[in-house]
Amino acid sequence: MASGTSVRESFKEMKRLKNEPLLLLAIVLIIAFVGFFVVYPVLRVILFPSVQDYAQLLTKARWFKAVKNSLFMTLISTLSCTAVAFLFAYVIARLDVPCKGLFRFVTLLPIVSPPFIVALSYILLFGVQGIVTKQLLGLQVDIYGRLGLWIVQTVTFFPYAYSVIYGVIRSISTNLEYAAYNMGARRWQVFRDVFWPLCRPGVAGGALIAAINVLTDFGNPMMIGGDLALLPTEAYMQISGWYDMKTASVLAVALLVPAVLIFLVNRFWVGQRSYVTITGKEISLNPFPVPSWVKWGLFGLTMFLSLFVLLVYGTLFYGAFTKAWGYDWSLTLENIQYVFLKGKQIWNSIRYGFLSSLGAAFLAMVLAYIVQKKQVGLNKVLDFLAILPGAIPGMFLGIGFVMAFNGKPLELTGTSAIMVLALLFWNIPTCYSAATAGLQQIGASVEDAALNLGANSFRSFRDVIIPLLKAPFLSGFVLSFLRSVTCLSVVIFLYAPATTVGTISVMVLVQSGQWGEAAAFTIILITIAFSVLRLAQWVLGKQGIKLEL
Amino acid sequence: MDAYIEFKNVVKRFDDFVALDHVSLQIPKGTFVTLLGPSGCGKTTLMRQLAGFSEPEEGDVLVNGRRMNGLPPFKRNTPLVFQEYALFPHMTVYENISYGLKLKKTSKAEMDRRVGEMLEMFNLKGLEDRFPKQMSGGQQQRVAFARALVMGQEILLLDEPLSNLDAKLRVEVRTELRQIQQKLGITTIYVTHDQDEALSMSDVIAVMRSGRIEQIGSPWEIYFRPANRFVADFVGTVNFLESTVTAVRSGQLTVSYHGMALEVPTDVTAAVGETITLVVRPECIRLSGLEESTAEGTTLNGTIENYSFLGRMIRYWVKVGQTEFVIDDANVDLTGARSGAVKLCLDTRKLHILKDGGAHADG
Repeated sequence: MASGTSVRESFKEMKRLKNEPLLLLAIVLIIAFVGFFVVYPVLRVILFPSVQDYAQLLTKARWFKAVKNSLFMTLISTLSCTAVAFLFAYVIARLDVPCKGLFRFVTLLPIVSPPFIVALSYILLFGVQGIVTKQLLGLQVDIYGRLGLWIVQTVTFFPYAYSVIYGVIRSISTNLEYAAYNMGARRWQVFRDVFWPLCRPGVAGGALIAAINVLTDFGNPMMIGGDLALLPTEAYMQISGWYDMKTASVLAVALLVPAVLIFLVNRFWVGQRSYVTITGKEISLNPFPVPSWVKWGLFGLTMFLSLFVLLVYGTLFYGAFTKAWGYDWSLTLENIQYVFLKGKQIWNSIRYGFLSSLGAAFLAMVLAYIVQKKQVGLNKVLDFLAILPGAIPGMFLGIGFVMAFNGKPLELTGTSAIMVLALLFWNIPTCYSAATAGLQQIGASVEDAALNLGANSFRSFRDVIIPLLKAPFLSGFVLSFLRSVTCLSVVIFLYAPATTVGTISVMVLVQSGQWGEAAAFTIILITIAFSVLRLAQWVLGKQGIKLEL
Repeated sequence: MDAYIEFKNVVKRFDDFVALDHVSLQIPKGTFVTLLGPSGCGKTTLMRQLAGFSEPEEGDVLVNGRRMNGLPPFKRNTPLVFQEYALFPHMTVYENISYGLKLKKTSKAEMDRRVGEMLEMFNLKGLEDRFPKQMSGGQQQRVAFARALVMGQEILLLDEPLSNLDAKLRVEVRTELRQIQQKLGITTIYVTHDQDEALSMSDVIAVMRSGRIEQIGSPWEIYFRPANRFVADFVGTVNFLESTVTAVRSGQLTVSYHGMALEVPTDVTAAVGETITLVVRPECIRLSGLEESTAEGTTLNGTIENYSFLGRMIRYWVKVGQTEFVIDDANVDLTGARSGAVKLCLDTRKLHILKDGGAHADG
C-alpha cells in the first residue's frame, strides 16, 4: 500500500523531530495559532445556527433569492472579468502596440484601491447627482442594481484574473506556435490547436480567482447593489440592523460553501492541469504578427476600457476637490481637510496594516520554510493550514472573530488586537505564496553548500536563507499591507469607534451621501497604498529584484 | 597502500530502493578517484555519504582512520563542488570564497592571503566584487572550485562539476584541474557519467551500476581489461566475439569464431569446447584488402556495410557472419573509404577474454 508506507514515513519523520526542539516548537505554535484564530472561528460560525435555521435558506424567499442573486452575479461578472482580463493579457504579452505602460497601470490600479472605489466613482458619474447623467445629459436613471453592479465588479476584479492569465500567456513559448506554423497550420488553427489549449488552465485559474472575489465582494454591493439581495450584504444587515447572529451565520455559511468549492477546484483541479514549465533559459522568438485589423481592433478595445478605468479614478480625484457634488462644482480643499481631521482613522489603517502584515509575513515565512525545506511528516497538513484562510470570505472571518472572541477564553471585542489578528490571518495565504515562490528560487544545494563549508543549521539559516528570503518577505509584506489598508469586509464587523479605519469611514460617508469627503478619503488611502508599493519596488529594485503583483 | 578515505560495506536505502548495496572502496592519500556510472547508479549517493548530507543505514565511512558516521556535514571538512555550483547569489566572489574561512574565525589577514592565492590560481583576479549572476558559467565554475579548495587541501569532492560547461571549455578545465590536483596532492573523489573525463583524469576508476561497484582499476585496466560486459560496454565502444575454444597451449588459446580460427596469447585457462567472449575495441582492428598477406590466426573475413567519415578517422560497420563489428580506422586515405569484402586484422595482444558469457572476468 502506497498510502500505508507514506503514513509510516510521516511517523518516522515526526519522531525525528524530537532531536530538533526549536523546529518542533515552531510547528506546534503554528498549528495552535492557525487552529485558534482560523479553524475555531470558522467552526463557531458553522455550528452556531440549528438545522432549522439552515432550512430557512430554502424556505424564506428572501434568503433563497439572495443565494440565487449571488450565484448569478458571480457567473456574469466572472465571465466579463475573464474576457477583459484575457484581452489585456493578450494585448500586453503578445501584441506590438504602444501604450502598454498605460495598460499595465490600469491593471494595477484596482488592486491597490479599496474594493468599493469603482462603485463610488460610478455613483459620481451616473448617479442621481452624476456628472454624466445629471449634468451632461439631464437624465434621471436608476443605476443601482444588477447592471451597475455588473459593470463595477468587472472593472474592480478583472485585474486579479489578469495577473494569472498574463503569467500563463507569457510563459507559453512562441517557439511552440512557430513549430505549428512550420507544420503547415494556419493562424486560426495555431490559435485553436496550440495557443488556446495552453492558455486554458490559466484562463480557468484566472476566472476562479475572479469568481471568488466577486462572490465575496462586500463593498460594491453595499454601495451600488440597491435593493438587490446578495449574501454578503444581507448577512451584514442582519448583524448591524437586527443583531441576528443566527441568520447572519446561515447566510455566511451559504457564502462559504461555494467559496470553498471554487477554491478547491482552483487548487487541485486547475493547478494540476497547468502546462507551465519553468525552464528559464529558453530563447523565444518574437510572436508571429497578427493581421493589423485584428491588432488595432484589440488595441482600440483595450484603450477604450483603459480610458474608462482612468475616468473612474479621475472622477474620484475631481470629486475629492469638489464642494458639493451635483450642486456646487467649485473646487475646494475642505474635503481633504476633513480627512486630516479624521487623521486617527487613516493612522489606524496604516498601523493595523503594518502590524498585521509584519506578523503575517513572518509567520508565513517560517511556515513556507518548514514546508519547503524540512521533512517533518506534516508538510501537507501545514501547507493546507497556510492556504486555508484563502478559501474563507473576508466577511465570514469577520463574523467568526466576532463570535469567537466575544467572551471566554479570549475577549477581544472592540480592541485593536482583534483588528490586527483578523487581518493577519486573512493575509497569511498571500504572504505564504510569496514566501513559497521565493524559497523555490533557492536551489536545494545552496544550503548544502553552506553546511559543507562548515556552517551549522543555524548559521546556514542566518547567512544564506534569511538574506535570500528578504525579497519574498518584503513582497509578501507589501501585498499584505495593500490588502489590509484597502480591506473592508473583514473589519466591518470588528471595529469600534476608537478602532475605525479609513475604509469604514468611506462606507459610512457614502451611505450618508457625503461624496466629496468619501472621495477624499479614498484618494488618501490609494496614495498611501501606492506610495508603499512604489517604495518597496524601489528598494527591491536596487537589489535587482522585481516585485510583481 | 594505506587507505586515507575508506567506505566499508556501505548500505543506503530510500524506502524500498537500494541506492548503495554493500559498497566498499579504499582510496589512498593523494589519489584521484572517479566514480563512473550511468545516472541512478549510486555514485552521487556514495559521495554524499562522505560529505554527510545523508547517513548510511549500514557500514562505515572512514577518513584517515576516523569514523565519520553521525558527524554533521559542517564538522567533516569535506569541501564539495556542486554540479550547479551552488554559489551564494547574495554574496560577492570574495565573500563566497571566504565564507568557509569566516566560519572558522580565520583572521582577516590570513583570509585575504588565502583567498588571494585562490583568485590567482583560478584566474579570478579583479572579479572579487562581482556577484555570481554577473559572471559567465566558466567563471562561476572557477569560483566554485576556489571556494572548495580554499578550505584546505586534504580532500576535494567533485559532483559532475563540468557538466554545465560547453565541450571545449570542459576539456580545458579538466586538464587544468588534474594539474592542480597533482600539484597539491589532494585526495579527490570525482563523480561523472562521462567516460572521457574518467579516463583522462583519474588514477583509479570505480565503475558503478545499481548501487554496486562493478570494477575498480586504473584507466588502462578499465579500458582494456573490463571485468564484465557492462563495464566494457559503458566505457567506450566495444565488439564482443562469442567464440569456442578449440585448442589449449601454455600461454595461448586457439578459438573458433564463425568458423575462422584466432590465436589469442593469454594467461587465462580454459577447456577445449568452452565458450568464451572476446572483447576488442574498435581501434584495435585494422582493415586490409583480401590480397594482403597476414599472420595466421589474427584475421577474420567480413563485408563493409556502412561507414561514417569523422575527419580524424573513419568508423566502419563490418558484417562478419551474422555479427556487426564497429571498427575505427585512423589511417584515413585521401581518396575515400573502403568498401566490399575486407580482412579484419586483430591485434591479438589487445584481445580480452570474458568467461561465463561475460558475467565475470578471469585472470
